[in-house]
Amino acid sequence: MSESIHKSVLSLKSRTPLSRAAALAVGLHVVAFFAAFFLPRLFDKPPPLRKPIIAHMVALGRPRDPRLLPRRDSPPPAAATPSVMSKPSVNASPSAPAAPKKREPTRQELMQRALARAAGKAVTETKEEPDPERAGSPQGSAEGTAQTAEEGDAYFTAVHDAILENYVVPSVISERERLYLSASVLAYIGAQGQILKHEFQKKSGNKFFDDALELAIQRSKLPPPPADLAKSLRDSGVVLNFRP
Amino acid sequence: MIFLLSLLLAADRPVIDLSGGRVQAYPLAMARPLGAQDAAVAVQSVLGQDFERSGLFKLLDPASFLASPNEPLDKPEYPRWQAVGAQALVKVSCEGGAEIRCDMRLYDVARGQELMHGTYSAPKQVQRQIAHRFGDDVVRFFTQEPGVFQTRIAYVRETEAGKQIVVADWDGANATALTGASINLLPAWTPDGRTIAFTSFRDGSGAHIFTVDVATKQVKPLVLMGDFATGACYAPDGLKFLFSSSLDDNTDIYVSQADGSAGRRLTDARGIDISASYSPDGKRFAFVSERAGSPQIYSMAADGTDVRRLTFQGNYNQEPAWSPKGDLIAFSGRDEHRVFDLYTVAVDTGKVTRLTQNQGTNEKPSWAPNGRYILFSSTRGGRRQLYVMQPDGSNQRAVTSEHQGASDPAWGPLPNGK
Repeated sequence: MSESIHKSVLSLKSRTPLSRAAALAVGLHVVAFFAAFFLPRLFDKPPPLRKPIIAHMVALGRPRDPRLLPRRDSPPPAAATPSVMSKPSVNASPSAPAAPKKREPTRQELMQRALARAAGKAVTETKEEPDPERAGSPQGSAEGTAQTAEEGDAYFTAVHDAILENYVVPSVISERERLYLSASVLAYIGAQGQILKHEFQKKSGNKFFDDALELAIQRSKLPPPPADLAKSLRDSGVVLNFRP
Repeated sequence: MIFLLSLLLAADRPVIDLSGGRVQAYPLAMARPLGAQDAAVAVQSVLGQDFERSGLFKLLDPASFLASPNEPLDKPEYPRWQAVGAQALVKVSCEGGAEIRCDMRLYDVARGQELMHGTYSAPKQVQRQIAHRFGDDVVRFFTQEPGVFQTRIAYVRETEAGKQIVVADWDGANATALTGASINLLPAWTPDGRTIAFTSFRDGSGAHIFTVDVATKQVKPLVLMGDFATGACYAPDGLKFLFSSSLDDNTDIYVSQADGSAGRRLTDARGIDISASYSPDGKRFAFVSERAGSPQIYSMAADGTDVRRLTFQGNYNQEPAWSPKGDLIAFSGRDEHRVFDLYTVAVDTGKVTRLTQNQGTNEKPSWAPNGRYILFSSTRGGRRQLYVMQPDGSNQRAVTSEHQGASDPAWGPLPNGK
């Protein structure tokens, strides 16, 4: 009996520090997990997930009899005669007055332009007056389908449109390969709208496509982000998912 | 823990999906040719036309170039080429004489590295081939697909004496007549590119199918069945061919061995069945049938079973041509203004897409063997001539400028079948 008590005491003595340490470790992990989950929300509330909005627009026109052969949206370019190499043009006279240097637009102007471009596309692309009954936002995109600002965000729409303007897919990539290409780029945006840095999260595997995305990002002039997004876009960035 | 935190941060990042980038030709600069100027300029001129016509490349204006005209062949000043927007650079240097020999190089301007180079030679009379061969190598390098600059086309040349079968380079150069000028129509290449079958009234007893050897111009009869046999189309393996013939007072599609023997009827519906075109795997063929009252495009298994109607729009669709990639069938259709234009129908979905519009009458599509181009005839410039375009209808360019006109194009196979 005494032997068993002795053993029990001994065994208790030998296990106590280990059990406490284990319990402490578990407790700390639980606390750390909850801290990781809740603390960022307390101190730096991230913006809600917002998506740019993409839609298939209905073209201007009358319904076409489905029994007829289709029309082209726009006539093809006139056939060129057999091409010849372009001839060198005469160099501009050195005495010709230099073109006035273009003034760099202000941040405010850039923002306005991006928003105007987003709104203006509705006119140029659909070639019709916007439906007065159409639900949306005056700052929405012509490509948008969302009806409220909760679904689509004006700034991300402007970013989408600005990058799309420079997004060129090289024709040397075959149609077949275009079906399967995709790439993701994480871009960090500064207060002036400049892309501070970017990194490929996933390359497409096609050199020409990835090079084209690099160029698109380098050439894109983004509007400055609104104040409530500036910190998050600078520190966490935005993910750009590209497909041809 | 750090992993968890980064996951949480990542989950909160906004995501923008971008698709629908503009497909744009790849900016390519061709430096001033070096060496023997006569040969180098001629070769580079053909190469430039190949590149432009292909729709793959946008040639930059030499007037904008900043690099020295005498820049060495192997030492491009990359920043100067970058500054003018070039992404690729081609440099050519040739040595003249009876045999032209050209050193040709392709550079990646952005990365500052050579991508490929080679020495190409040919007799002076056929120095264009140097450009075509290098051009095809460049296309293959970029697209991993064969180029078509070395392929040949066949067509019908209109003359005052009649219609003759002609072969030419893909850009219309080096046109050579293979037959005399009776009434010769509908050329069709054998898969090895050595022979062309065509329909002719040359024997005075109706329309029959003959073959002509491209090298020797020797003509032989192939199908003399009845008084009307027309429109040969060879299977991809070259072992048999389809044609239409009027026996039993009805025009139907027949299949025959490559030598014209063992003809067997495949269609037996009421009304005309004509203009057969094999699928690239040879398991099916497209054709025109009037069985539903108006000419429409159908497909059928190669053994004559499993008929499927493919077009339901328009009331006069004809001349199907199955694409080498298998997904589309090009055809000509008459629209509500009674004008023939070119369309494609997707084999899987039946979706019809219009390729030409408001530019005269456009007919007789024929696919390039790599599926990237369609050759066709058009009256847009007055007389019927041949034009080439991409399968979406873009980049339409003239190919022939025959005095009396050209029609019935047939694009030949890739050289050596590759």
